[in-house]
Amino acid sequence: DKTSYRVTLRSALDSGKTTVVEVEAIYSHVLRPYPSEIAQAEKQLVVLEANLYFYSPYPTTSQTTTVVTTSSNVESYTKTKPVSQSDTSIIYGPYEDKAAFAEAPLKVHEENNSPFLTVTSMERVVEVSHWGNIAVEEHIDMTHTGASLKGSFSRFDYQRQQDGLASIKTFKTSLPASARDVYYRDEIGNISTSHMREMDESVEVELRPRFPLFGGWKTRYFLGYNVPSYEYLFFKDDHYALKMRFIDHIYDDMVVDEMQLRIILPEGVKNIELKIPFEVERRGDQVHYTYLDTLGRPVVVLNKNNLVEQHIQDFELHYTFQRLLLLQEPLLVVGAFYLLFLVVIIYVRLDFAITKDEAKESRMRVAGFIDEVQNAHDRRSALYQSYDDAINKFKSSKDAAAFTASRKKIDVDYKQLTQQIQNIQAQLKTEGAEASEKVAELQRLDSLYKEQVGLAIMAAEKLVAGKMGRQQYLDAEAATTSKCDDTYKKMESLRATL
Amino acid sequence: MRKSQGTWGLQWLLRMSSDKQDTLLKMVILSVAAILAFSTRLFSVLRFESVIHEFDPYFNYRTTRFLAEEGFYNFHNWFDDRAWYPLGRIIGGTIYPGLMVTSAFIYHVMNYFHLTIDVRNVCVFLAPLFSSFTTIVTFFFTRELKDASAGLVAAAMLSIVPGYISRSVAGSYDNEGIAIFCMLLTYTLWIKAVKTGSIFWGSLCSLAYFYMVSSWGGYVFLINLIPLHVLMLMFTGRFSHRIYVAYSTVYCLGTILSMQISFVGFQPVQSSEHMAALGVFGLCQIHAFVDYLRSKMSSDHFNILFRSLVLLVGSIAFGAAAVATALGKIAPWTGRFYSLLDPSYAKNNIPIIASGVMVRLMLVLAPVMCVLGGIGMSAVLTTYMKNLDNPLKKEKKSTKKIESNYPLKNEIATCVVIMMTAFLMFYTYHCTWVTSEAYSSPSIVLSARGGDGSRIIFDDFREAYYWLRHNTPEDAKVMSWWDYGYQITAMANRTILVDNNTWNNTHISRVGQAMASPEEKAYEIMRELDVGYVLVIFGGLTGYSSDDINKFLWMVRIGGSTDRGSHIKEWDYYTPQGEFRVDKEGSPTLLNCLMYKMCYYRFGSVYTEGGKPTGYDRVRNTEIGNKDFELDVLEEAYTTEHWLVRIYKVKDLDNRGA
Repeated sequence: DKTSYRVTLRSALDSGKTTVVEVEAIYSHVLRPYPSEIAQAEKQLVVLEANLYFYSPYPTTSQTTTVVTTSSNVESYTKTKPVSQSDTSIIYGPYEDKAAFAEAPLKVHEENNSPFLTVTSMERVVEVSHWGNIAVEEHIDMTHTGASLKGSFSRFDYQRQQDGLASIKTFKTSLPASARDVYYRDEIGNISTSHMREMDESVEVELRPRFPLFGGWKTRYFLGYNVPSYEYLFFKDDHYALKMRFIDHIYDDMVVDEMQLRIILPEGVKNIELKIPFEVERRGDQVHYTYLDTLGRPVVVLNKNNLVEQHIQDFELHYTFQRLLLLQEPLLVVGAFYLLFLVVIIYVRLDFAITKDEAKESRMRVAGFIDEVQNAHDRRSALYQSYDDAINKFKSSKDAAAFTASRKKIDVDYKQLTQQIQNIQAQLKTEGAEASEKVAELQRLDSLYKEQVGLAIMAAEKLVAGKMGRQQYLDAEAATTSKCDDTYKKMESLRATL
Repeated sequence: MRKSQGTWGLQWLLRMSSDKQDTLLKMVILSVAAILAFSTRLFSVLRFESVIHEFDPYFNYRTTRFLAEEGFYNFHNWFDDRAWYPLGRIIGGTIYPGLMVTSAFIYHVMNYFHLTIDVRNVCVFLAPLFSSFTTIVTFFFTRELKDASAGLVAAAMLSIVPGYISRSVAGSYDNEGIAIFCMLLTYTLWIKAVKTGSIFWGSLCSLAYFYMVSSWGGYVFLINLIPLHVLMLMFTGRFSHRIYVAYSTVYCLGTILSMQISFVGFQPVQSSEHMAALGVFGLCQIHAFVDYLRSKMSSDHFNILFRSLVLLVGSIAFGAAAVATALGKIAPWTGRFYSLLDPSYAKNNIPIIASGVMVRLMLVLAPVMCVLGGIGMSAVLTTYMKNLDNPLKKEKKSTKKIESNYPLKNEIATCVVIMMTAFLMFYTYHCTWVTSEAYSSPSIVLSARGGDGSRIIFDDFREAYYWLRHNTPEDAKVMSWWDYGYQITAMANRTILVDNNTWNNTHISRVGQAMASPEEKAYEIMRELDVGYVLVIFGGLTGYSSDDINKFLWMVRIGGSTDRGSHIKEWDYYTPQGEFRVDKEGSPTLLNCLMYKMCYYRFGSVYTEGGKPTGYDRVRNTEIGNKDFELDVLEEAYTTEHWLVRIYKVKDLDNRGA
């Protein structure tokens, strides 16, 4: 059960030459709390059990092993000579000429009060919207995997003596600098104890779980935020590339046992290709439905176990998307409202009653007539203005022939409209509506108005012909205008009450 | 147009026919009222978060989630083993499912259209949504009673009436939230049925009644009020075929439908709360029959027949009722009903349901008052608005004034209108203030003002529940006083002994006994009930006054109310002077009982206020009497940041020989 890694050198190594290869390996869960249960006030001790020698398929000529401890308080350690211990480090070796796969026990028992926080499982959901937003949500289950708490938890001691050295009160999570709308919740609602600090290259969130975590205690929370898509989503024509972190920072020196990344892409995305710097398990894609979806959004599901900080690396997801599809959802809404209004219009305009309601129909007919009267009257009022214009034009141009022609033309329109109103009034009368009287009154007022218009025309003709003095004309005009205005006001108010 | 004056919008409105103006105005006012009804209930969501409030709503929320996830059939057959350990509770048959079915329906419809809203948010916003519906129904109801303008005023008033808001703010997910809507809908359709005498409206009314029955126990109001209405109509000689048709339809259909709710079962034909309706139904038949006979007979013959019939039927009915009661077929009037009529009844006889009775009465009356108020307001305003001089018609003013024999008509009208406007404005201010101050705290999250004016949030309840949820064995049984039962099952997802349903007094009493007994006695009870953890609410550090010590006398009373708890006597917990105190003067029984010890464990060494000795209780304002003690059978498992919730673990039995 040995795992081998192949190291490719930059250039071939000739015989007798040397080269330097640095290998960094990170192990999780190798420190075992010992004793495995401690009381609240006790300190946490851990045991490291490892191989003293360099484990390799090649013979080792010379090696040293340095164990850096977190505190100077080391209970015991393997004393395979040569060994030396300074403040927080134990240095073994140098050991000369060890065979391949050499093994010897290395055991260090030390005090270590650093919080052994482990994310036992997490789900990271990245939801991409082509409207300019990427929503990220992380569901995190975490456990304090240090020595578990023995006996009772005393809030009094915890508050007074500030003990519980190995417990976790808060931890800091760094989010991308552009993160907005950060929320920190769990299954039963918002967790009010968190602080956010915006820094230059990141947003730092100080998260405090609902309760301090002692050894063996668990909690679960959701952390979510939005980032603008222009920082992570790149496109050329129909080709898009999403470049984001596979996992982001949760706390310093983090350990994640299991993780699932779900990338929700917009509807209509095709030809999905994934590029990732390390090995992940990609299960079958799923379909996710949310607001206004019809076909559902494709979801890329990636799984990976045993992750640490060094896994904070970018993945790339390439896909194609027709940009016109962006309009699908707004059009859907528009269509739905259009349909709704159409149905309402049809329902209101059409009569679905089985029985006939005479009174109601008559009322509706009357309303229709009144509408017609009002329209005709409005057009007639516009003609008054035309008369005024014609008179003014006549006064300045003194062209009697043109004036008569335009007057005739207006007269024709005017007569037609008046006749139309007259007809409607007759029909109203047969419906027995009281509005017919009002229309008659309107007609009467109108004829008054027309009379004044006639007077104005006559005066204007006299003025142009020189049969009337300037001052005299002005007086006459003032008289007709005031009468006209008066009648007009009456007509308008009558029209409104029809 | 000769001169186009005024802005376009006003012209457009004025040039519409008055019919259209009327419809437009009505729709605008009504929609504004409906939106107002929704938005005024959102204070707590904006201030805190979208969270379920109080206690009962947590149960409703939990059951709704179950219904949404498992479907109606499983919900109907749901036996809940998380509550009332070891008895369990048959949820499907002991609740009014209307609320849950409504929410689950909305949830499924939304999700069918891929509007992915979660169950919690449906629950939180259901009550405001139904308040909007209620506002609209109120308009139609009042319009049936008087006219559209009264309807609009009533709708606007109802949208912000505090009595209704108290039970329908966002997050207050309770039966009443939709029941008031059902109640007004039933009234409206009933009035409609009475007015038209059509079976169609009668059937609709019974459907509305069915919805009401399925959602709230308060349907009993309706099944007594509608017959009362009919009875009054009979006495005033206004009984007609229309009423006969309407009532017969509503009663028959409504009763059959209401019996489909398993929690109601055969009550509509057995319990005396429903007998009035049956009696009036019978009376209706007799009245109709008598009317028929009268139309066919001479009056002398009719009188003889009438007298003999009354005697015969009366005696038979009385005898039948007596026999049925004696045989136990008709249940006597239940306490809850008495307590509605007489609030002091509950206080004296059934302590468990004493609270909340006044609130319910207010709740039922608030819409009715709004309708009456709307009618009154609208009548006054319509009358006096007419008397105002129209500033647009100045020329007629002089002629009018001479004719009038009503001095200062315009001035009086102005005064009245201004006064009414002022009343309405005060009403609005008052309602908004009450809503924001009194009814919009979720009570699961407490908040207080700090010394520097900043807001401090006490989130201890959720802290404790979340701790229980993640750090206790999945099958752990948690003992607490019944108030917190629903919250623990919903938020901590743990089995509890008693909850807010309070259906089994002896079980509650057992828990009360455990809390009131000294440690060894309590340990026996806790072992008997398989208790793993005990949870108490303690406000001594923060000054939160509705904590378990203040509720303790209820535990003692209820604990001592059964045979097994007869050794617990309320007087043992008082000082000889008859006082309930926790300081040195307090009774030793109190100072050594389990509840005291759990609340004050290690509290004796805490400084709570400057200038006061250690162990100073900020609720009772005294230094506690028994400071230095250890717990033998329990160990402190968790205490929240502000000591509001304390959880203790029940130790296992000692190993033999240890």
